[in-house]
Amino acid sequence: MSVEATSTGTPIPTSRFLSESFTAITCCMVPGNEYAWVAQLRRGAAEHCVLALLRHGEGYGFDLARILVNADGLIASEGTIYPLLARLRRHGLVETTWRESGEGPPRRYYRLTGAGEESLALFADHWKVFRDAVDQILNEGDAT
Amino acid sequence: MSTADRTDVLVDRYLSDLDAALRGLPAARRQQIIDEITEHISEGRSGLQHDDEVGLRELLDRVGDPDDIAVEEAVDYPRPRTDAGDAWVPWLLLFGGFAFGVGWFVGVALLWWSKTWSVRDKLLGTLIIPGGLASLFIAMGGLVAIPARAETCTASGGPLVPTTTHCTQSGSSLSAVVAILVAICLLLAPILVAVHLERVRRRA
Repeated sequence: MSVEATSTGTPIPTSRFLSESFTAITCCMVPGNEYAWVAQLRRGAAEHCVLALLRHGEGYGFDLARILVNADGLIASEGTIYPLLARLRRHGLVETTWRESGEGPPRRYYRLTGAGEESLALFADHWKVFRDAVDQILNEGDAT
Repeated sequence: MSTADRTDVLVDRYLSDLDAALRGLPAARRQQIIDEITEHISEGRSGLQHDDEVGLRELLDRVGDPDDIAVEEAVDYPRPRTDAGDAWVPWLLLFGGFAFGVGWFVGVALLWWSKTWSVRDKLLGTLIIPGGLASLFIAMGGLVAIPARAETCTASGGPLVPTTTHCTQSGSSLSAVVAILVAICLLLAPILVAVHLERVRRRA
């Protein structure tokens, strides 16, 4: 089994993320491709949720992973947060500093950049609209 | 094995599984991920109430399947697709010689140009055997011919008796058997090399 690795991993153009999701949803409705659009949607949402977790301050990988895993289904497992964090760093949405930790080796702490804050704000707006639109249509089906 | 040994074995095995799953990544990135996960596991262990095997297994389950991590990495580091000509290489090496020898040379060129095979594999493909099966058929023709040419014909007879020519094969039947065995080995060698190259290509 293989999940096709798509080139879409960039969280910066949030509006593009949404339009690509719509494209993914409409183009990939063929059975067997269902996993592809869910994976894409989850990935974009997970990236922005990491940004959201950093909204109020720094965080380090272990903590962030724990929280995200508890939010059902956002990331597959704790280990998968590291590729995600590397991607955010590569796109300039977060920056890192090493800090001494009490009992162990130094830890890498992550912090939002200006671009990260912007991306998060955009996402929050678009997500709300998107979520309400989908909910409305899904519920209309039940309301009859 | 003590508990401490068993837990160390668990972690080592997990990390080597992870290393294998990340095989397609550039070495620097692979090392970085492994370092981060190793740190993550240490951090997790220091937080465990009982650093025993059960706790460690649960921790490793939470860290997740190495394949899942590899899939996530592959989003940013897509596996390079093998060169398009690769599929032809084993066939050209084996049979290309029959196309006026040109096919074999094309196969060798594609072999060395490709990134799929190691230098060792490339040398194997080139040297075993130059010209592929075509060379072998030519060589085998020679091997078969040698015992035949070892016939000697003597004429006997005289002025009053009709001449008879008497031909004997001076080569023994043993050399024919040896020749056949050598031919079979020489036939198998390039076929085995071609099969090996194909297997490496499929695994890539």
